[in-house]
Amino acid sequence: MELKFIIISIISTGIIGVLLGVIIGVVAKAFAVEIDERIEKVEELLPGANCGGCGFAGCSAFAKAVVAEEAAPGQCPVCSGDDVANIASYLGIEAGQGEKMVALVRCSGDISNTVRSLYNGIRDCRSAVVVAGGAKGCDYGCLGFGSCANACPFGAIEMRDGLAVVHPELCVGCENCVATCPKNLIVMVPAAAEVHVYCNSPEKGAAKRQVCKTACIACRKCVKASGEEEHMLVDGFLVKTNYENPPSADLVEASACPTTALRVAGKHAANEYQGVSK
Amino acid sequence: MSELTSEFLVITIGAILVNNFVLSKFLGICPFLGVSKKLDTALGMSGAVIFVMTLASLVSSLINQFLLTRDFVIGGRTMNLQFLQTLVFIVVIASLVQLVEIILQKVSAKLYESLGIFLPLITTNCAVLGCVVLNAKATGPLQSTWYGATIYGFCSAVGFALALVLFSSLREKLDLAQVPKAFEGTAISLVTAGILAMAFLGFSGLV
Amino acid sequence: MSDKPRKFKGGVHPSDSKALSASCAIQDAPLLDKYVVIMHQNIGAPPQLLVKKGDVVKKGQLLAKAGGFVSVPLHAPTSGTVSAIDKCPGPTGISVPAIHIDADGEDEWGSPFEPIANWQNCPAGELRQRVWDAGIVGMGGAGFPAHVKLSPPEGKEIDTLILNGAECEPYLTADHRLMLEQAEDVVLGAAILARILGLESAVIGIEENKPDAIAKLEEVAGKYHVRVQPLPVNYPQGAEKQLIYAITGREVPVGKLPMDVKCVVQNVASAVAVADAVVKGIPSIERVTTVTGRPVKTPGNWRFRIGTPIAKALELAGGITEQPAKLLLGGPMMGIAQSSLGVTVMKNTSGILLISSDEVSLYSSEPCIRCGRCVEVCPMSILPATISQAVENKRFDWAQELNVQACIECGSCSYVCPSHRPLNQHFKWAKVEIASKLRRRND
Repeated sequence: MELKFIIISIISTGIIGVLLGVIIGVVAKAFAVEIDERIEKVEELLPGANCGGCGFAGCSAFAKAVVAEEAAPGQCPVCSGDDVANIASYLGIEAGQGEKMVALVRCSGDISNTVRSLYNGIRDCRSAVVVAGGAKGCDYGCLGFGSCANACPFGAIEMRDGLAVVHPELCVGCENCVATCPKNLIVMVPAAAEVHVYCNSPEKGAAKRQVCKTACIACRKCVKASGEEEHMLVDGFLVKTNYENPPSADLVEASACPTTALRVAGKHAANEYQGVSK
Repeated sequence: MSELTSEFLVITIGAILVNNFVLSKFLGICPFLGVSKKLDTALGMSGAVIFVMTLASLVSSLINQFLLTRDFVIGGRTMNLQFLQTLVFIVVIASLVQLVEIILQKVSAKLYESLGIFLPLITTNCAVLGCVVLNAKATGPLQSTWYGATIYGFCSAVGFALALVLFSSLREKLDLAQVPKAFEGTAISLVTAGILAMAFLGFSGLV
Repeated sequence: MSDKPRKFKGGVHPSDSKALSASCAIQDAPLLDKYVVIMHQNIGAPPQLLVKKGDVVKKGQLLAKAGGFVSVPLHAPTSGTVSAIDKCPGPTGISVPAIHIDADGEDEWGSPFEPIANWQNCPAGELRQRVWDAGIVGMGGAGFPAHVKLSPPEGKEIDTLILNGAECEPYLTADHRLMLEQAEDVVLGAAILARILGLESAVIGIEENKPDAIAKLEEVAGKYHVRVQPLPVNYPQGAEKQLIYAITGREVPVGKLPMDVKCVVQNVASAVAVADAVVKGIPSIERVTTVTGRPVKTPGNWRFRIGTPIAKALELAGGITEQPAKLLLGGPMMGIAQSSLGVTVMKNTSGILLISSDEVSLYSSEPCIRCGRCVEVCPMSILPATISQAVENKRFDWAQELNVQACIECGSCSYVCPSHRPLNQHFKWAKVEIASKLRRRND
């Protein structure tokens, strides 16, 4: 093998390489896409769950909006306080963090406590409600087929005895379940509130009791025990927690709710549940 | 029929149906399985591969013909640079993929995002390199010219696209089927791909 | 127009079980002491309440006025006192607002309008207004306000009026008895409807399994240029689009109305209600309903006031001989299963059907085996198996592409499916999801 031959090979390969490199360079200049690197950085700091809880199409859309200052980092319901602070300090803007909200299924009627008719159709709430309003005696109660649990990207909803139970510690407040429930049972409440009325039926007390043992019958015991209308509000035949000024967990014991519709969130959800893998 | 015309038919029909790159030569299986979940992305990937493969065939057969196979005399011995084929072809393909990527990002950001990692992976798509190497080895009077090689590259890419589109349509339907747990996902896809390959076996003997 | 009816594609032949009640003459149900009139009895806007608790009402008095064009007024079924405006179980399983009336037993007449004796010379507009004022809806089951169908928009020409007497649902015999016993009223109603539409004639479509009704109608039909068209027995022959095809050979395109192929279809019971409203001045406050099923002691056909509780209706039929497994409002194919006996007879309640426990069984849905029977029987020529699989995977966009909206929910596919797939429920679900997606997009 002669040295000349090696040199020729190196040079010709080199020329091809340089030529192609130059072409790529020119084309890259001509077709350059402006990318704000801050968007990428913010997206990295976001959880990447793409749950849509912020109201944007996904994490990258939210990152764009945050960088364009159309949204505050605090609007992301999944980020922890530290994450939000990180993003805010990186961009040098206000965090705009709101109060942490969690989902609440306003029903306590599991299988043993409610009247149901036989239903042999598709096991999905949104489908069951089309056929005959669902098989539950109560028109307003949880149907128990778990459409919300399937919609939850974080596995925070457990189906227990035909009732959806939200585990507040897993819930990030993305509101996917709120949009899924065909009975509009799920509402967002401040995570700080401990006591909720697990009933959503505006019917009269007697009518509710016919179909559900754990309905709120608006006996007002809790209202009285908490001091008139300060912590608990009466709305027709239903009592609701005043989330502006939520009562303490002691209220449940103090008021001795006769139907157990008034519950402490932690106790209502408590059991061995680790979430479901998605 | 003249020799050129008959070879033209052999190249086109052969590359698309009989010796289909994916289903007969089993080249380019990676994007075949990876990008076939949805028809839309499969169509995008097919477009990208057709573009890259045609261009790669053209450029590398030109380089092969006018540079690598050129004989020259050094110290009384006739030599050529054919041993550089693989090296040069890889460089050419890689830069072409780079070009496609840059252009695509500007022209169709949506397609760019949906192709994702598979776009740069065309670089290592063995179908492209295989096609270029087959061109370099070809002895036919048509395929050994640069335009014949380009036709072959284009037709192979169309064959690849055909297999990919067929397969992704099947997989979209497969999504609706109730598949036994053990066969879910890639397993049933591979079984389907095998059956598809067997179906393409029926084309053998066509040319 | 040929006399031989065309056969629409598909359809099924379930055992009709009509013999249970087909020979039972229509009986007038006795006056009850309490009626519960459900407010929203029509497709379209709910009516607006005119009475309040404690009001004394006369029989036929307006309880609620129409809440828009696609809405009908509601009349008191008897005289008495409004005891409550409260909820009652609705036919779809959700509680609905209803007017509770305690009857005073007098049954004192207080009609909101006078009879139009000389209807042949009465302007069409006035007759149409009377149909609206009388609160007449499609009494075959849909409950679509009759006057809306009778008011074709500007530029839409109508050339055929079809009266639907097919009654293809198994078990039901209410329309059959009505055509047999009140053939003159059916033909008179047809003539009035034809006059409203500016037509000379009308066609009554009847399935061939009712030869006595066909003979009776043919006897009296000549008086008003009404033609009786016997139709082959094939479910769903009584579905609007299938009936139009069988009689005229025209196909109603997906998403269009019979009006678009120059047809108007009214149920025979609606025609009788129209005749009553025009010639006798009686609003829509009663209807003939079949109470039937094997567990019913004496099945039969009754003329119930609107608002009669189902429990009372079953009592009239002698009660039950065995514990039924299912209670349906309507027929077994399209009827809605009920979870409460508190539901009351509505303007579109064509039947109250009890199914015994050995007639039904609990199936679990199995995977589709692609036998294609559902495709064969589908009268709308859609692909039930494919759509059902799309819906099962929540791919409502595919279901939409596959024209699930064309489904008329006749239940033929679910009837023949050997895998017991809930096909009909899949389609209902998909339609609801697609509609809500459209609504969201329009918001």
